[in-house]
Amino acid sequence: MSTLVKPRTLFIGLTLLCGLAIWLSLALGPVSLPLWDTLRAALRLLGVPLDAQGLEQAELILGQIRLPRTLLGLAVGGVLALSGVAMQGLFRNPLADPGLVGVSSGAALGAAVAIVGATLLGGLPEVFGPYLLSLCAFLGGLGVTALVYRLGRRNGQTHVATMLLAGIALTALAGSAVGLFTYLADDATLRTLTFWNLGSLNGASYSRLWPLLLVSAGVALWLPRRAKALNALLLGESEAGHLGIDVERLKRELVFCTALGVGAAVAAAGMIGFVGLVVPHLVRLLAGPDHRVLLPASVLAGASLLLFADLVARLALAPAELPIGIVTAFIGAPFFLYLLLRGRA
Amino acid sequence: MLRVEALQIRRDRKTVLEGVTLDLLPGEVLGVLGPNGAGKSTLLGALSGELQADQGAVWLDQKALGAWSGAQRAQRLAVLPQVSTLDFAFGVQDVVGMGRLPHQTGKARDDEIIKAALQAADIGHLSARSYLALSGGERQRVHLARVLAQVWPGEAGQTLLLDEPTSMLDPLHQHTILQAVRSFADQGAAVLVILHDLNLAARYCDRILLLAQGRPHALGTPVQVLQPEALKAVFGLEVLVQPHPERGHPLIIAR
Amino acid sequence: MRLSASAIALVVGLLVNHGALASELPQRWVSAGGALSEWVVALGGEPKLVGVDTTSQHPATLKALPSIGYQRQLSAEGVLSLRPHVLVGTEEMGPPAALAQMRNAGVQVELFSAQPDLQTLKSNLGHLGQLLGNEAQADAVFSEYEHALVRHEALVATMQATHKAPGVLLLVGNAGGKPLVAGRGTVADWVLRHAGGRNLATHTGYKPFSAESLAGLSPDVLVFADRALGGDAARAALFKENPILAATPAAKRGRVLELDPTLLVGGLGPRLPQSLQALSAVFYPDSTESAR
Repeated sequence: MSTLVKPRTLFIGLTLLCGLAIWLSLALGPVSLPLWDTLRAALRLLGVPLDAQGLEQAELILGQIRLPRTLLGLAVGGVLALSGVAMQGLFRNPLADPGLVGVSSGAALGAAVAIVGATLLGGLPEVFGPYLLSLCAFLGGLGVTALVYRLGRRNGQTHVATMLLAGIALTALAGSAVGLFTYLADDATLRTLTFWNLGSLNGASYSRLWPLLLVSAGVALWLPRRAKALNALLLGESEAGHLGIDVERLKRELVFCTALGVGAAVAAAGMIGFVGLVVPHLVRLLAGPDHRVLLPASVLAGASLLLFADLVARLALAPAELPIGIVTAFIGAPFFLYLLLRGRA
Repeated sequence: MLRVEALQIRRDRKTVLEGVTLDLLPGEVLGVLGPNGAGKSTLLGALSGELQADQGAVWLDQKALGAWSGAQRAQRLAVLPQVSTLDFAFGVQDVVGMGRLPHQTGKARDDEIIKAALQAADIGHLSARSYLALSGGERQRVHLARVLAQVWPGEAGQTLLLDEPTSMLDPLHQHTILQAVRSFADQGAAVLVILHDLNLAARYCDRILLLAQGRPHALGTPVQVLQPEALKAVFGLEVLVQPHPERGHPLIIAR
Repeated sequence: MRLSASAIALVVGLLVNHGALASELPQRWVSAGGALSEWVVALGGEPKLVGVDTTSQHPATLKALPSIGYQRQLSAEGVLSLRPHVLVGTEEMGPPAALAQMRNAGVQVELFSAQPDLQTLKSNLGHLGQLLGNEAQADAVFSEYEHALVRHEALVATMQATHKAPGVLLLVGNAGGKPLVAGRGTVADWVLRHAGGRNLATHTGYKPFSAESLAGLSPDVLVFADRALGGDAARAALFKENPILAATPAAKRGRVLELDPTLLVGGLGPRLPQSLQALSAVFYPDSTESAR
């Protein structure tokens, strides 16, 4: 117990970390902007009436490219981590991952349908393109999750173990369907599909960002209110029921929040794995399993991790870009191993 | 107080519990005894609201059990299950603290109650430890403290249901815990406890319900219920029953 | 509103910066799509190139330029860091959002078709010529290319008068494993047909075939392109991973030819006429002997 970090220390540390991540994400990039220009452009974006001389490029890079990208990273990182906590609570297992309820594979299937379907139909007007893809991914994620949830219900009760098996089965099924689409795809579509599967914060724009921001904010405000109930759920479903919690409702909320959050994140940024599994784990190793700390801390930690990963993704091979899923694994895994070796709290 | 009338529970066409009628009164400890499969845990399930009665009804404080809202029921009724599957590294303090979830008494009062519950379960010295670092018996006492905290201080109107709370405890702690349960009842709470040790039941219970194959075989004081013929019929065990030399309650000795 | 004004200012600024006497042609080029980059170089645009994508590997000097990565996953800021005036690429470039961001920043984004036919090539070269300011050279290059193709076609026609066109399959693989077969509508198909072969694959695009299907088609000639290996290593890997290919007539008679995979990206490229020669020599070995 004495090796646990105090909540106050943790929050201060994570807030500082997140702030640093945001700052670096805005200040650094393949285009090297003088720091002074970045600062002034940032102030101008906030509405401060400064002289705009020579700031056009900085304002463009900052306002149109880096800022939406940073916001996207914050939202995706935060909501993926939060969903990880929700799933680990639902399955009462620290190795659970949002993908277990099928939302990631459902989203991949939705995306495959959109990418390949559009080609098969002879192509859609380009303006449709990104919206269609995101929408299909989102609906695919929700659809498969709904199916998994439905399969897990019997006599008005949700059996988590059954849900787990249903999730595995449907993930496999969705995977085969994606395989089929892959076969039907031509080389060009195939590459688009592959890259979508690797995830990226590239091309973030405000118009595509706001649905995700809304959903993430909703999930991030809702879940922490159920922190005590989630703690009790870890005792066991019947024990939580004896403590007066409506367990069926709680399970439904957890599945729903995960489906919405991860669905929106995958729709906006493709498949970025690893964050939902490792971030809650890391925070738990540092500060214990109490959800009152775990939930908000995971949001901050997930957002920071993703922004740092994106920084590496953008800069490591500039002017080219690394897929971010590779980077999250490279950053997260060694750190995770280190904490494990250091010994559990 | 808890009231059961003509309770019948079926599972897959088979009747697992039938014909149970009893009143669990404030201030009494009611022990439930019986061989494996006699229906003890089923009874507990019905009393706690987890299992629906196929026939008959359960009332908590003059209101049907199902009519209580979750939190309000939880303020009056606490259940200690036989095994716990908590697999996360909560601190002992936090686990006991979960018992206060149904209440809105504020942090200060909650902390007092948690401390008192820890003492009652004789784990005050473990309050700063991690739950996962404890032995099986210690963990059982943590959960006992939790349910005690849930219905603290155990006055009239509060009910405690315990499923074999002594199964993993050493002899000293078996008695310590049942003594704590006894004190709880002395404050006014109604307590039902499933036990498998006949002598513990004889010593600490005011009344005993003897179950066999889903039916009540006997309901009464320990002296009335713990008779050699009854015990032979239910458990298939040949016993001698003698009064305890110092306390006078029945002492069951296997022949 | 503020942004479009600053975008205009940026474009004007970039143009004005190069002096009032400088032409309004883009001076800093980024190119994506193998064959397209080769054409830019062929038309004398290499000094203007400041960045290329991963498929642009010919001539070898291009590899020394900064790489903007995979053409379907371009980073707007990454490309912008090269301060280009124009980004040329095929319709395979993406993602569209990044291209839009580049346009907003004042970069001219020119999309070219990668369709493998002469008409497309002609208009592409014309367009490139305009951007480079040497339309005349572009026209000349195209004419020469067209003549070379016409000459080759005549040669093939002569050979086909006396010999049957061989059945051919073109396989694109990675270190030998799981090769994709080139079907209709690909540059590979164009090459095979113009070299006088019969592409035995009738599907469209690139598709994986089972080993039995491959052998069952009994190709007289096998052409393979390996993205990872080259030369003997690639050939060995191909037969190691797909041993059943050794049973094909092509393998038995040693008519297995390697093709540079960079020839297949970005539409028809300048090096194709030489490849056609090489391929036809393998397709019609006797007649080229007698033609000499």
